[in-house]
Amino acid sequence: MNNFLLNQTETLSKFRVISLYFAAALVIFSLTGVLSKGLNLGLDFTGGYLTEFTTQESVNKADMETLLTDYLPDTFGLASAENGTHWSVQQADNDISLKGKSWLTDFSQQSGLNITPQDSIYIGSQVGDELIDQGGLALITAVIVILLYLSFRFEWRLAAGSVIALCHDVIVVLGLFAWLGIKFDLTIVASLLAIIGYSLNDSIIVGDKIREIMKRNSGASIENIVNLAIKSTIVRTLITSGTTLATILAIWIFAGESLSGFAISLFTGILIGTFSSITISATVPQLIGLSADYYNKQEEEVCALP
Amino acid sequence: MMNSRNKKHVKHTKWQNIVIIFILLFMIVSALPNLYSDKLTVNLVNNNSQAEQVSAQEINTLLAKNNLAIDEIRTSASTTSITLSNEADQKAIEKLLSAELSDSFSIESVTENTAPTWLKMLHGQPIKLGLDLSGGVLFVLDVDTERALFDKLTGIALDVKTLAIDSRIRLSKVAQPDNHSIVINFSSAKQLSEGTLLSEIKKTYPELSQNKLDDNQVVLTYSEKEQVLFRQETMTQTLKTMRGRIEELGITEAVTQKQGKNRIRIELPGVHDPEEAKRIIGATASLDFYQLAENSKAAGIIQMTDKNGQRLRMNSQVVFSGSHIKNARSGVGKMGMPLVNLTLDDVGGKQMSNFSKKNIGKPMVTVFSEFYRDVNDVMVKKSKVINVATIQQHLGAQFSITNMSSPQEAQELALLLRAGSLTAPVTIVEQRSIEATLGADNIDNGIKALSIGIGITLVFMFVWYRSLGLIANVALALNLVSLLGLMSLLPGTVLTLPGIAGLVLTVGMAVDTNVLIFERIKEELKRGRKVLSAIEYGYNNAFSTILDANITTMITGIILYAIGYGAVKGFAIILCLGILTSMFTGVFVSKALTNFSIRENKSQLLGVKL
Repeated sequence: MNNFLLNQTETLSKFRVISLYFAAALVIFSLTGVLSKGLNLGLDFTGGYLTEFTTQESVNKADMETLLTDYLPDTFGLASAENGTHWSVQQADNDISLKGKSWLTDFSQQSGLNITPQDSIYIGSQVGDELIDQGGLALITAVIVILLYLSFRFEWRLAAGSVIALCHDVIVVLGLFAWLGIKFDLTIVASLLAIIGYSLNDSIIVGDKIREIMKRNSGASIENIVNLAIKSTIVRTLITSGTTLATILAIWIFAGESLSGFAISLFTGILIGTFSSITISATVPQLIGLSADYYNKQEEEVCALP
Repeated sequence: MMNSRNKKHVKHTKWQNIVIIFILLFMIVSALPNLYSDKLTVNLVNNNSQAEQVSAQEINTLLAKNNLAIDEIRTSASTTSITLSNEADQKAIEKLLSAELSDSFSIESVTENTAPTWLKMLHGQPIKLGLDLSGGVLFVLDVDTERALFDKLTGIALDVKTLAIDSRIRLSKVAQPDNHSIVINFSSAKQLSEGTLLSEIKKTYPELSQNKLDDNQVVLTYSEKEQVLFRQETMTQTLKTMRGRIEELGITEAVTQKQGKNRIRIELPGVHDPEEAKRIIGATASLDFYQLAENSKAAGIIQMTDKNGQRLRMNSQVVFSGSHIKNARSGVGKMGMPLVNLTLDDVGGKQMSNFSKKNIGKPMVTVFSEFYRDVNDVMVKKSKVINVATIQQHLGAQFSITNMSSPQEAQELALLLRAGSLTAPVTIVEQRSIEATLGADNIDNGIKALSIGIGITLVFMFVWYRSLGLIANVALALNLVSLLGLMSLLPGTVLTLPGIAGLVLTVGMAVDTNVLIFERIKEELKRGRKVLSAIEYGYNNAFSTILDANITTMITGIILYAIGYGAVKGFAIILCLGILTSMFTGVFVSKALTNFSIRENKSQLLGVKL
């Protein structure tokens, strides 16, 4: 029995180290995507016009494109959903686009397609530039505030592990958006912040356990402590991530087109976050020299938990 | 000894339970109004008591002929109330009814909540829906405060010239190098050193600081602090004007708020034609009143041409601007001439009183200015003379502009004056119009995702934890109700589509609290504790971990709330409130429920046999 436990622990340690290399590779792969392909910025950030409408019968995308060319003076982007009945047309924010403003009315009258307008958005290009700054600022502020909170609450190496894990999560999601070319809009920034929150949630639970075991430690090595902590929290981590992923899947499938990017981001973010809370946030402190008797040495200085 | 401690403990729990039950009841009652929807009712009020009441059948056939669906028609002695099933039909139905029945009935529409009377007495409100759920129009305006500051300084520069002539000082040049300073060149160093002009300027414009550049040059500047103050005042003024204009449009549910440093966000739910609203909101018009210049040689003169091509020369100093007008109504004078009756605020009233006392019998010019962007995207100001009217007597806070050419013109002027004028030019930088049908689809989809998300979670929790899972499920349901109640209670919370996603996400995450506690209890049971003590220990010890895990999510939620607008803000609010309610129901409510349902040490709990 004891031997079996020991074997299991060894496997877990191996798994953690291999996963750490895997995570590093994933980050490099994602960064390559972000840097080479760039993010497919949505209307919120680029500015311009977006018009959404539905047609009663489904239309071939190529057909729709030729139909629209007669009405739209400038180049435009066309996307369709729901079997070619839901359309969105994106135009740049410039004078030429402005001239063809009433195109949808003309188009719906003349094409005979039974068109219902759904949504029309105009965003000035200067607004988009500001949003990029604001979104970036929000992410950075979040990371700094969290780092401060964690260092105050935990040993700094544990805090660093959690922050590295959350950076990993955000970068991987960004990489996914870059490689797949999914529209990156404001709701995605919101989802990234939510991912940061949830990724930490998992890391903190593991960190808490490590601290707890270290406090009542009786000479076990740091490696064993970390493995023990992971094992005793794994059920909880899997259940919570599982129910959360299930609800996100419900949003993805049922909440409609406008939230699909948001759902994709959250889904991958939480999946990756669960993985990184086990492999990165628990392994990094051990690698940068967290010692097993840290809390015993500091007993008098560190405030006891309520 | 042991006994007394136990008693104390029981007392403490009782008191705690009462508080929990009270909070839950309060939340449930607050959430209740969301079950009832707003219904639009069109009332036909009988103008003439002799006239015959129109029957319900008649109205029904009339509406059915035009494919307009309704829920209910109620007739009483004097009124007929028609409850619409679709709010979008309001305009069509009103138009139809007024065409058919306006001779003997007056038509008015009221929005009423269908909640029972006792609930209405408690003043509960349902959650406000964001634009993406209710449909409507959104505008984000950019207010050019820099331009307003520049214009203000141009006015001051002209004033300085007038003051110089009044005090017989010759200036060689008055320049405006940037938008916060004026450089005055005196023709001789002696005139500068006498200082009469400078002290005069100090008296009129105490907010300007004066600095001597060299022997005959002085620079007047707005300090950094004054500039900030001016920008803030301009924003407040513009916000006020916008609210006034929206009120004039008859939109009551509008949200008008400052966004960032110099933006204004206007949300108009229920508006379907953005162009109409845009014309009034986007009109960057301002009105100013000038005096005709008597002395054609005086400095600081503006020249303009009126409608008839006649050239007018006016004193550059504004008698007062449109921002001081409190009310304006069009009417007809004694001779049947159209006119506009004005009521000024205190400041405007005093200015007008002083000015008119000195200038009875002299003409006053009303100038209408408008900003627009030219081909090169540069803001251009275009002014035109609306009318030249003679001051008949010493005027106070109330007076009329006579000499209007037509009643229409009088009405339009009155509307613009009522709505207030803008000192800073505004441009629309963001506009969105969402159809009501898309909003309704979004709500349907959101509710579908929510119920499926909840369903999966409830089933899983029951299968995995059995009896304790049932407790977690009750806590989860109460969490959702509390969250809805809290959102209905707090003013300024708006439910958006990402907000619904936040709600679904909260459900998924809320079980975390219970999972943490239950896993803890399991661990304690395995270590050999008895059931009751394991439960007690589990709840108490998991709390610090729960707090740690939730605080970080809360931090990101608050940051998101601080920087986000509109839909994103809606997500952030739910994220934060959801953490609060899930901690409340997950820890306190579920502990009370556990204590209530498990009162003695069982032989088995959570699959751990003892």
